[in-house]
Amino acid sequence: MRKVLWAITLNTFRETLRDKLLYSLVGFAVLVIAASLLAGSVSLGQDARVIQDFSLTAMLVFLLIITYFIGTQLVFKEVERKTIYLVLSKPVSRETFYLGKFLGLCLTILVAGLIMAVMFVIVLFAKTHSVPTAAYFAAGAVILEAWLLTAVSLLFSSFTSPLSSAIYTFGVTLIGHGSATIWLLSQKASPVIRGILEGVYYLFPNLEKFNLRNDVVFNLVPSASQVGLILLYFATYTVFLLILGVAVFRKDEF
Amino acid sequence: MLVIRNLTKQFYQRNEEITVVDNLSLTVKKGQVFGLIGPNGAGKTTTVKLVAGLLFPGKGKITIGGFPAGSLEAKRKIGFMNENPQFYYHLKAREVMEFVADLFEIEKAAATKKIDVLLKEVGLKDAKELAVRKFSKGMHQRLAFAVAQINNPELLILDEPLDGLDPLGRLDFKQMILKLKKSGATIFFSSHILSDVEEICDEVAILHKGKIIAQGSPKDLVKSSKQSLEELFVRSIRNA
Repeated sequence: MRKVLWAITLNTFRETLRDKLLYSLVGFAVLVIAASLLAGSVSLGQDARVIQDFSLTAMLVFLLIITYFIGTQLVFKEVERKTIYLVLSKPVSRETFYLGKFLGLCLTILVAGLIMAVMFVIVLFAKTHSVPTAAYFAAGAVILEAWLLTAVSLLFSSFTSPLSSAIYTFGVTLIGHGSATIWLLSQKASPVIRGILEGVYYLFPNLEKFNLRNDVVFNLVPSASQVGLILLYFATYTVFLLILGVAVFRKDEF
Repeated sequence: MLVIRNLTKQFYQRNEEITVVDNLSLTVKKGQVFGLIGPNGAGKTTTVKLVAGLLFPGKGKITIGGFPAGSLEAKRKIGFMNENPQFYYHLKAREVMEFVADLFEIEKAAATKKIDVLLKEVGLKDAKELAVRKFSKGMHQRLAFAVAQINNPELLILDEPLDGLDPLGRLDFKQMILKLKKSGATIFFSSHILSDVEEICDEVAILHKGKIIAQGSPKDLVKSSKQSLEELFVRSIRNA
């Protein structure tokens, strides 16, 4: 089973690497991160802060665009091009196929994220001659968030079109980053609205848990327990999404 | 080898139920070449996809070597070539074969040997390092035929294998299937090219609107009806 899973993961990874969109996005992200040098130079003594904010946000935005545009197409393309027949007529379970597609895109996001992170470190080091440890944790958390949203996009793409799936995933991103606001609103709302808002708060992923970007400025390195909690939250939520996605995908016919 | 019992498959279109395969039963014995023939929309491809585990039966049962169709055990026993086969554009012919060998968890050294033999047999030896996106339709069919045999399948399932090929390609393909038949392979295939079916098959079933309306060996069918297979086919469909 492991060999089969790895074969599908690697094939998905190689397939996404051939996507010109990926190169454009990574190239553009690298350019934007490099441009943060200029943005930093026009700020008044806040170079490091501007570079950190600018670069980490650019990293998040571009990785999420990769998730929206490539992640939502993964299964759809297989069905449209009929390549899914090549795989699912072989001794491959639906679960293995689905998981392989997910892991393949995660690998692509990891590579793209590492390229952006290296560029960020180079830019920051060139300007400040030091890179705070917290920056590595923040970059890692950005990649984790993109992985979680990959599971979201894959779930949506197993029962809807790529465009709808991209829109829904974008919606989840917005709600996920507004979790704290949603919670505050719920506490001031009427009982019915409060119930609905609390439901939304608990149902949707709290993506702010992966936001360590503000800590970088003060080099606040997250504690082991904080890192453990982030990883646990990521793993629990992602596994839940994958189980849900597989349950839908198992019933699909081709 | 392949047993289909009371198979029914329905699809839903605009809240309307359409029966594509209707209470179909057939048996393909070991070493037999079985042809499923019928006009467009008869339910051939649906039946083949049900056998390959790509669709789920509404009612009825399909077993391959005793295992339910769609199970991993059944899939290990089959080689499947779908209609108009497509491959990943980023792969070369050799890489496609290696990928499929990995899906069958075939050991690398054994896979490499088998890949070379199969690509030579289907006439793609010189194209093995060529990206499949540059392949012609005929080359796609040949590669799909090689892919379907990578696991030495006990049952080879071919959906319209001769469809869309030029006369030379069809002749080559027919010879490859006949060679497999001589070696004792069990083949279940769908087609609407009657002359080829007559030449290749031990047994045929004529499918119309999801139902088998005639079945037997091509020779017996022709003998008992005192008509050519084509005439019998046309009459059976018109009278059904």
